[in-house]
Amino acid sequence: MVETGGLSTFNIQHGYVEALVRGMRNSFVSDSDYHHLTQCDTLEDCKLNLTESDYGASLQNDSTLTPQDLQKAAVDKLAVEFQYLRSQAVAPLAQFLDFITHEYMIENIMMLLKGTMAGRDINELIAQAHPLGMFKESTMRSVVAFESNAKGYADLYQCVLVDTPVGAYFSKFLQESSQNVGAAGEIRNVLEETEIEIIKASLMKYYLEDFYAFCSSLGGDTATIMCEILSVRADTQAINVTLNSFGTPLNDPSMRSTDRRRLYPSVGFLYPAGTSMLAQASDEESLGQVCSLYPGYASAWACHVENDDRSIDDAFFERDAALHELAFESQMHFGCFYAYVKLKEQEIRNLVWITECVMQRQKEAVNQFIPLFSQHAPWRQKGGRR
Amino acid sequence: MSSDASGCQSAYCNQGWSEVLTHMSPYGWGSFGIAFGLGLSVVGAAWGIWLTGSSLVGAAVKAPRIRSKNLISVIFCEATAIYGVIMAIVLNGLMKKPEDSSYVDGVFSEGWDYNTWYFAGFGVFCSGLSVGLTNVASGISVGVAGSSCALADAQDPTLFVKILIVEIFASALGIFGIIVGIIQSNSSQFPDKLIN
Repeated sequence: MVETGGLSTFNIQHGYVEALVRGMRNSFVSDSDYHHLTQCDTLEDCKLNLTESDYGASLQNDSTLTPQDLQKAAVDKLAVEFQYLRSQAVAPLAQFLDFITHEYMIENIMMLLKGTMAGRDINELIAQAHPLGMFKESTMRSVVAFESNAKGYADLYQCVLVDTPVGAYFSKFLQESSQNVGAAGEIRNVLEETEIEIIKASLMKYYLEDFYAFCSSLGGDTATIMCEILSVRADTQAINVTLNSFGTPLNDPSMRSTDRRRLYPSVGFLYPAGTSMLAQASDEESLGQVCSLYPGYASAWACHVENDDRSIDDAFFERDAALHELAFESQMHFGCFYAYVKLKEQEIRNLVWITECVMQRQKEAVNQFIPLFSQHAPWRQKGGRR
Repeated sequence: MSSDASGCQSAYCNQGWSEVLTHMSPYGWGSFGIAFGLGLSVVGAAWGIWLTGSSLVGAAVKAPRIRSKNLISVIFCEATAIYGVIMAIVLNGLMKKPEDSSYVDGVFSEGWDYNTWYFAGFGVFCSGLSVGLTNVASGISVGVAGSSCALADAQDPTLFVKILIVEIFASALGIFGIIVGIIQSNSSQFPDKLIN
C-alpha cells in the first residue's frame, strides 16, 4: 500500500491536484447568488443570474432553461472537472478517485436493470446514466439482455460485470445469496421490484465496506476524515434500509434478522450494537427508539416524526453537507476530493430545487435548500438545529 | 601502548570510536562542516520550494491573481539556501592553509598549535551542522506554511498577509541557526603558523 504522505511529503505526489480541487471549491454558488436566484420570477431570470456564476459557460447553449437541462449541464460539468482531477492523479489518489466513481457505476447498473424491467428504451436509459459512473457503451447495452432472476444475475455477472470495477461487489452478492437460498429464496422470487432494491443495497454495502477498508489502510488524516464520513454514510444506509423495509416482505419477522440484517454495512457508528437493534425493529416506533440512542440520528429522526416540511433525507443531507464542509478545513488528505463531489451533488440538488420552485411558482418553498460554505448554514447558526 | 579487548598490540590498532574524533584531520572536520551546512540548507530550501510550488501552481489554475504574490513564499524558502551559502563562505574563510615553514614532509614541526587546530576543526564542523539542521527544519516549515498560504490566498485574499506572518516566523528559525552558527565559528580560527 502506497502511503498518502504526511504534512511534509503529501505535496510530492498530490500537492497539485489538491490545490486544484481547492481552487474548484471557489466555484460554489455564493450566498448572494442564491439570494438573487430565489428572487427570480421566471426561468429566464434564473438563467441570467446563473450566467454570472461558474455555470455560465455550460448553460450558454440552451435557449430556455428547465430544471432538467440545468441538472444535466451541471452534472456534465462536474464529470468534466472530475475527469480532469482524475487525469492528474497518481496512486493512491487515483485509486481513491476511482472508488468515488464506483458508487455511480452501481447506480447506473441498477438504473439500467430497473429501467428494462419497466420496459423502457435502452437508448433513453443510457442517456440518463450518471456520467461519473459510465461503462463502455457495449457493456451498458448488454446489461439489459439478462433476465431478472437469480440465474440471470449470475449470467450477467459472468458475461458482463466480471471485468468492471464493481464486479467484485456483484460476485460477493451472488455468493451470499446462493448461500442463503432456502425458505427465504422462495419469497425472493415474489419480490421482483424489491429485488432490485435489495441488490442495490447489498452492492452499496460491499462498496462502503471496501471503500472504508481502503481509506483506513491509507492512514493519517485521510483515514480519520474519510472513515468518519463513510461511517455516517453507512449508518444512513442502515437506517434507510430499515425504514424502507416497512411494509415489504423484508420486514417479515423471519427475514428481519436474516435478509434485512445482511444489508446493514459492517462499518459505521451503528455497527454492531446499533445494527443488531435495527435488525429487531418491526415498525417506525421501534426504529425511532434505536435512533434516539444516537444523538446524531435522533434529531434526523425527529424531522421524520414531526413531519414538518423537511423529510429525514433532508436532515441527512444537511448533516452530510456539514460533515463534508469540514473535510475542507484541513490540508493534505484525500477527504476533500470526496467532499467536493458530494457537495457539488448537493449544490445541483439545490439549483434544481430552486428552479423547480420558480417554475411551479412555489415561492414559499424556495428557501428550503441547503446553503454550502455559507455563514447562514443551519449548522453555523448559534443554537440552530443540528 | 595499551591493548584493547581484542588483544591488538599494534601501534596502529584502533582504540574505539573515540578515535574518529582524534584521528580525523581537523581540516577534514572543517570541510565536512561546510558541506553539511550548505547541503542541508539546500535540502531544506528545495523541500520547501516544492511543497509551496506544487500547491501554488494548482491553486493558480482557478485563481491566477495569486501567482506573483505567492512567489514571496518561494523566495522565503530560497532564503534558507542563501543562509547556507553565506555560512559556507564564512566558514571557508576560517580555514587557512598552514604556512610552508610550519611543516616538513607533511608532518607538523615542533610548536604547531594542536589544541587550537582541533578546536577550530570541531567548531567549524558543528557550526555547519547547526546551520544545516535548523535550515532543514526552517525550509520544511516555510514550505508547509507557504503551501497553505497559496491555498488560503486563492480562497480569500485577505488571508495572505496573515499567513505570511506565520511564514516569517518559520523563516526566523533559519535565522536563529545562522546567528548561532556565526557566533559558534567566530573563535574557530584555524592556526596557520607555529607558536612564537
